[in-house]
Amino acid sequence: MRFIKSVFLVILFAFIFTGAFSQEYDFEIPEEEEAKIEFNGNLDAKWGILKTRESSPFFGLQFYDLSEKDDYLSQYRLDFYLDGVYRHKQIGLFMKTFYQYAKEEPLSPSFFELYGSLNFSPRLSMSIGKRRFNWGKGYVFNPVGYVNAEKDPENPDLALAGKTSIYFSYNKSFNSDVLQNFSMGAILLPPEAEINDKFGSADKIGVALKLYFLLKNMDIDLMAAFKKDEPQRLGLDFSTNLRENLEIHAEFSYAQDETKHLVNDGSVTQHKMDGGSYMLGLRYLNRSNTTLIAEYYHNNIGLSKKEFTSYINYLGNSLKSNNPELINSARLNMSNIFRSKTLMQDYLYLKLIQPEPFSWLYSSISVFTIYNLVDNSFLVSPQLSYKPYTNFEVLLWPFLFFGGNDTEYGSKQFEKKIELWMRFYF
Amino acid sequence: MYKNNVSFFLILFFMASVIWSQESATNDTKGDEILKKVDENLMPVSFESYRKLINEEPDGSKKEFIFFTVKKDKDKVAMLYVSPASEKGRATLRLGDNMWLYIPNVGKPIRITSMQSVVGGVFNNADIMRLEYSVEYDATILEQNDSQYILNLKAKTQTIAYDNLKMWVDKKNTMVTKVECYAASGTLIKTLEFKEIKNFGDGIMRPAVIETSSPLYKGYRSLMIYSQMKPRKLPDEVFTLEYLSKLGDLR
Repeated sequence: MRFIKSVFLVILFAFIFTGAFSQEYDFEIPEEEEAKIEFNGNLDAKWGILKTRESSPFFGLQFYDLSEKDDYLSQYRLDFYLDGVYRHKQIGLFMKTFYQYAKEEPLSPSFFELYGSLNFSPRLSMSIGKRRFNWGKGYVFNPVGYVNAEKDPENPDLALAGKTSIYFSYNKSFNSDVLQNFSMGAILLPPEAEINDKFGSADKIGVALKLYFLLKNMDIDLMAAFKKDEPQRLGLDFSTNLRENLEIHAEFSYAQDETKHLVNDGSVTQHKMDGGSYMLGLRYLNRSNTTLIAEYYHNNIGLSKKEFTSYINYLGNSLKSNNPELINSARLNMSNIFRSKTLMQDYLYLKLIQPEPFSWLYSSISVFTIYNLVDNSFLVSPQLSYKPYTNFEVLLWPFLFFGGNDTEYGSKQFEKKIELWMRFYF
Repeated sequence: MYKNNVSFFLILFFMASVIWSQESATNDTKGDEILKKVDENLMPVSFESYRKLINEEPDGSKKEFIFFTVKKDKDKVAMLYVSPASEKGRATLRLGDNMWLYIPNVGKPIRITSMQSVVGGVFNNADIMRLEYSVEYDATILEQNDSQYILNLKAKTQTIAYDNLKMWVDKKNTMVTKVECYAASGTLIKTLEFKEIKNFGDGIMRPAVIETSSPLYKGYRSLMIYSQMKPRKLPDEVFTLEYLSKLGDLR
């Protein structure tokens, strides 16, 4: 009996001990959670024929070194975009690379975007790295795009390089008919590494803030940007649908101490200005499925007709001088100081888009014009797009420039050009 | 005598008016109740789903898109393009009458209209990003028989894509079977047919296929096929412009 009791106690002890052990140290093997990595992108093969404008000082300066100048030039290039995303729980890594091949030489990638993001919650997130921001409601013009890469109005949908930044975002929704959503974005913009290619001056860190409100079915943004030795900017934009087929949008930006460059007596001078730039726009869809996009832009530091004439005369005189020093200086000013795609004061943009015209499947035709309201020069560009197969698109895209010799579009390097694009997605 | 007759007819007219207005009010209430039930049967309050959209052209060729969709409450829908590669990463958001499209290359959401079609074909944005019908329309019973109701749906505001809908509802399960969409002028814009009732699990039983055709697009046909639908709790912040570029995190 005692023996049985002892055996029972040993078994009980062993059971309790192992039970306690298993409770304390036992664990479930977690299911393997898949981290998601995805790649996609596109290859654009582009071929263009360009009719040169030999009377243009821009053409003369750009092709100054050429001994013989042709009436027509041809251009062939391959643009390759590779995007990658890695996602695991709250963490994400994003990259957008760009390679351009024009002739046989080693290719180096440009990182348009390369950043890591952390979602603390659906409301709070941050990212660090090179990231593209696109502030403003305008399709072509963005006076409040303080952190944007400069868009090319001739192709506003083109992928562009981002900025090195630290971004914090807070986002909150409300069950209200008045204020439905609020978000706040703060961007820190470290200066470029100027010291030994590694360091930048700490007091040159820029700050940009944006507050967003979805208020009574209207998107409203308030923005501000501050950076040492640069203009202080405050901005406002909004967009809303007036009807089921009509949307309106607008932007206004006020800048203090903005620099306007002028050419006076053959030399470039700087002038500080305070004032506002603005944009008004609409998007309208009619019953025939034709979309109209219209935008008007006023650029506070844009050149007047007289100021542009001074600038173009300066370029022409530098070219005529045949003095390499003057020519180099004019080239530098052309590509650095006067490089804006909207150099003058007032522009009107109009675009009509008709998908599948004449019941032609998978095609789309569009035509846009950018009209310089100051000097009455303009460009017209029709576009034909056709997507006969999934993940393949072909584009035929002519550009025609009109205006007098001393006008913006009438003095472009090229009178006209036509491009053929073949785009493969993967 | 004449005075009595006039009084009698006035009282009769008054009573008839009261009865008629009460009947009309009852009819409106009943119509709205049926419509709410139709909505409940079509979608859970908060869910995620995968859908394939097929655009068939007159020559027989097809274009296909796959979407990941999340919906919450009566008026919040967000949708991510999963394929083809040329559209991948695009996302659309609908909050009531407001709609936005996010294109990765453009890098910001832009407002779009419900009448546009971001995928081409017969379905427009309002069809693909459909809210509950009772959010956008007031319903009255147009006619009924033993097997079905025919409802007349009138848009509550001018910003709704279609001014009028005619809806066929199966009495047996209060499930929509057909919808005709009309413009304010009375022109028939398109017809939607709801087919293939499927059990998606979690108590969700609904048509898995919506087929649409339009007299304005002769020979074209578009199909929307639901392959998965399951209830999912989602925070309101998922349905915001800030979150549009991050919708892929939810998959």
